[in-house]
Amino acid sequence: MKFYVCIKQVPDVNAPIQIKEGQLIQDTNRMILNAYDASAVEEALVLKEAHGGEVEVVSVGPDKVTETIRKALAMGADKAVHIQTSGDAEYDSATYATILAKFFEDKEYDVISCGKQSQDTDAGLAGSMLAEKLNLPYATNAVGLEMDSDKLVVKRQGDSGQEIIGLPSPCLVTCSNDMNDPRIPSLKGIMQSKRKPMETIELSSLGIDESELSPKTKVTGYQEKPGREPGQKFEGEPEEMAQQVAKLLDEEANVI
Amino acid sequence: MSTLLTHIAISDGKIKRSSLEVLSHCKQLAENNGHAAEAVIIDADASNYVDQVKSYGAEKIYTMEDPIFKNHMNTPLLKAFAKVMEEANPHVFAFASTESTKDILGALAANQDAAVLSDVSEFDLIDGGISAKRPVMAAKILSSTEAHDDQILVSVRSGSYDLVENETDAEVVNIDFSFDESELQATLREIIGASGDKIDLSEAETIVAAGRGAKDEEGQNLINELADVLGAGIGASRALTEAGIMDPSLQIGQTGKVVSPQLYIAIGISGAIQHVAGMANSKVIVAINKDPDAPIFEIADYGIVGDLYKVLPPFIEELKKIRN
Ligand SMILES: Cc1cc2nc3c(=O)[nH]c(=O)nc-3n(C[C@H](O)[C@H](O)[C@H](O)COP(=O)(O)OP(=O)(O)OC[C@H]3O[C@@H](n4cnc5c(N)ncnc54)[C@H](O)[C@@H]3O)c2cc1C
Ligand SMILES: Nc1ncnc2c1ncn2[C@@H]1O[C@H](COP(=O)(O)O)[C@@H](O)[C@H]1O
Repeated sequence: MKFYVCIKQVPDVNAPIQIKEGQLIQDTNRMILNAYDASAVEEALVLKEAHGGEVEVVSVGPDKVTETIRKALAMGADKAVHIQTSGDAEYDSATYATILAKFFEDKEYDVISCGKQSQDTDAGLAGSMLAEKLNLPYATNAVGLEMDSDKLVVKRQGDSGQEIIGLPSPCLVTCSNDMNDPRIPSLKGIMQSKRKPMETIELSSLGIDESELSPKTKVTGYQEKPGREPGQKFEGEPEEMAQQVAKLLDEEANVI
Repeated sequence: MSTLLTHIAISDGKIKRSSLEVLSHCKQLAENNGHAAEAVIIDADASNYVDQVKSYGAEKIYTMEDPIFKNHMNTPLLKAFAKVMEEANPHVFAFASTESTKDILGALAANQDAAVLSDVSEFDLIDGGISAKRPVMAAKILSSTEAHDDQILVSVRSGSYDLVENETDAEVVNIDFSFDESELQATLREIIGASGDKIDLSEAETIVAAGRGAKDEEGQNLINELADVLGAGIGASRALTEAGIMDPSLQIGQTGKVVSPQLYIAIGISGAIQHVAGMANSKVIVAINKDPDAPIFEIADYGIVGDLYKVLPPFIEELKKIRN
């Protein structure tokens, strides 16, 4: 089984953020492996451990993303590809999918695994875009993966129930973090990761001229969400609080 | 004049309210800008829903009917949507942001080479495209985003717009669809726990949500009882879906569902940003938590600091009295 896992470096949403004149000011030192991609890496490793094969991670971004790639290697991925961008522009899902599709054009694999969405933008688009561009059968929002002879069996969370889908190889799947708890790299894993192969690829070698990438969507600014004010807080005897709040819900808020 | 096309999502034999919210908004945009508001229903029994869609202002309703649409499968759906886009040639194709939509939106955009914005909380028409607000950074802030293209796909979070009835005498156009099942590479083997009469959380008026604080049997019983009294849907934090105590489809938040009920009661939930991302648009929020510093109290309209096992029994009794 050859797995490619597409991983993205994203800002840590738990870090404090500020908006100044519509621009987002965030701590660029707090970049992490997208949580959904971490689950995709974990699941690929579990399947490799059970059935053999190889797990290769791919990330598109400026040089800084190599830190995130190392993290995936430290978790246990065998090798990595870094597709280098200048980092001058933030691209949309479609642009990343276009770049990834070019990379995969001449590759052989059984499964391409993505996160179901980027944790910072919640776009959730690049995975199925890539599948369509590569003409692969796919399933999104996977909460479980299994191998059944030559099929990848995906349990995906649908609107009401869970759908069990059999996919032939090659195929693409996007992973939810409900799938597993990604392992924390061990010290040994971290040491080993430094010696694992990481190939750097320039966009030009994929036939892409970065200056000609023109995303159809762009972020023009950021703003605070109209906030909620904390309301009334009750402390004291349970019976009393229960009575007070039930009454307020009925008479003040009118929601009972 | 261009066309604003809304996809009408059907789930468990009903139209999803969120897609009528989107249609209501598109109708308004169309009227304000001299465009046409149209709708498309893709379902095994698409024609059953036409009358209801007429009352939300669609001037033309496309139907596409085939037994293959009984269950969600992305291959036939993509083919169907591509055909609808060729037929209707919409400038904007708007969807409710359901799991089914999320499954195909990116692929459809790639297939049609259309611009796409997902999971927006509002959108408007601008010259040559649309502008939209999207919650980002686990819905802590909003981004202003623009898409410029001849064809733009947009999916809208549930609860973003009000329903506006607007009876219109719509023209109904059936689009032929055929699908050779042997083309299917992906096979749907089974559906687990498809809801029968479960309450659809994205449409529920009242939600009782349980967190780690209510993880034992007694806690679950109290949650069920409270939900019964209020006729509420039951939701959960990730702590409980992850532990297998609650069904994964009940998770509310960034990974789970986005909800916007009139009343949301968070019980034993700390209020992590990823949970709040899914419920901050509730009209009234009640929190019951024994930790006075729990972040959930920062957004609660009524916060009860206390042990849920002590607070819930009298709370349930009081609500019973009111409901009777
Ligand atoms: C990418 C990503 C996506 C995520 N998506 C989601 C999501 O969609 N939904 C989601 O919920 N989480 C999500 N999470 C997880 C989230 O960060 C939190 O870990 C989770 O919401 C915590 O659940 P909780 O509040 O039930 O548990 P905890 O944070 O452990 O809180 C339990 C609370 O219960 C209170 N409590 C305990 N006992 C009692 C008692 N007897 N009476 C009253 N109160 C009591 C405690 O004071 C505490 O505040 C996501 C995380 C990541 C990284
Ligand atoms: N720059 C990137 N490099 C590698 N993979 C990416 C990149 N951007 C997106 N992806 C993959 O696509 C998924 C969904 O992205 P998005 O459409 O941004 O939500 C991510 O979880 C990754 O698996």
